[in-house]
Amino acid sequence: MEPLRQLAKEKLSGRKIFAVMSAKGGVGKSIFSAIFSLVLSEKEDVTLIDMDIHTMASSKLFGFEGKLHEVSKNGIEPFNIGRLNLISLSGVVKNNYVILPGGNQSSVMESLISFSNLKGNVVFDMPPGLGDELLVLEKLANNYSPLVVTTPSKVSIKVVKYLLDYIEKEKGKKNVSLVVNMAYFNCDDKIVKPFGSVNYDELKYEGYSFDKIVEIPIDPKIEDYIGRIQDYSGEIKEKIKNDFLK
Amino acid sequence: MHEWSVADAVIRTVINWAEENHVKEVTKVKLGIPSYSFLEVDILKEAFDMMKKDSVLDHAELEIVIKEPTFVCKNCGYEFSSNDVKDQLDTVRSEFGEEYPLHLMPALAPSFLKCPKCGSHDIIVKSQDITIDGIEVKESGTAETVS
Ligand SMILES: [Zn+2]
Repeated sequence: MEPLRQLAKEKLSGRKIFAVMSAKGGVGKSIFSAIFSLVLSEKEDVTLIDMDIHTMASSKLFGFEGKLHEVSKNGIEPFNIGRLNLISLSGVVKNNYVILPGGNQSSVMESLISFSNLKGNVVFDMPPGLGDELLVLEKLANNYSPLVVTTPSKVSIKVVKYLLDYIEKEKGKKNVSLVVNMAYFNCDDKIVKPFGSVNYDELKYEGYSFDKIVEIPIDPKIEDYIGRIQDYSGEIKEKIKNDFLK
Repeated sequence: MHEWSVADAVIRTVINWAEENHVKEVTKVKLGIPSYSFLEVDILKEAFDMMKKDSVLDHAELEIVIKEPTFVCKNCGYEFSSNDVKDQLDTVRSEFGEEYPLHLMPALAPSFLKCPKCGSHDIIVKSQDITIDGIEVKESGTAETVS
């Protein structure tokens, strides 16, 4: 019997679970996860768990790089940003790199969940692709809502279909949201789409269906908020607020 | 302090198991922990005894077996024990203090340890998980073991 897996399951049960996923790296998944969690936390307690253990971007975005999580009788205490609670493996390993053979990855993920003092609903920032983490997530919380992040680029859309094939067709998930990141920018009230447009009709024709499709704008100002993303209140945040939480 | 969350995990698992199997009284829980997790056995037992109250585990004893892991280097095939990498473990402890990574998550071993022979991080660890290896229950006056 494995007590950690059991506890991880219990800790996640009864919570709403969002899994921010991408098929490809570099599509801005971590920034989206961070701002999405911030927006949710304006109304309720949220725990953001950074599962992308190789980049550990969340702690960098929020300015907790190099800081360790406190450990109390309740377990690993998240970093707090208002009602947002952040759990990151970087809070366990500091700035050390992480090398993990397959099986260890799921074990680390299970311990991270089962030992953490979770509060409220949970947002997982998942690593790109179809890895062990996804299989573990399914074992622990099969009822998660996938938020699949892509950019409008043809390559990214092509790759994202593999992920969609898996979670939609294989797992029969109906509550998939498609997040098209870096979709456009606002240039003097003119919409410019530097990476092209997504052909949603074609996606529909090919059998993909989404609960929501949200296009997220490019906001160059975001760069100034790396390390203090909690202070950001620009276009991206407004868009997430209006399109996701209505 | 981490011992309290481990005790919590163990107790919840056994309670669930007992419910599923209609067991009324558990007398002993055998717990295997990897030696390089450096969990304090005394604190773990204390936490277990505090948290078990008013449950099916009220009279249960916690028996802890420290599992000596075997590390196998996939690069050169060398097999070694945690004793062979004691100096490396001490370094981790001195960098992180009490709540160091391997204490929380023994599965992180390949990130912090390397093969003493060839220096590779490509190592497999056997028995890295905390496991419940056996439960003894009292059934109509007799004790029986389930594992
Ligand atoms: Zn070696």
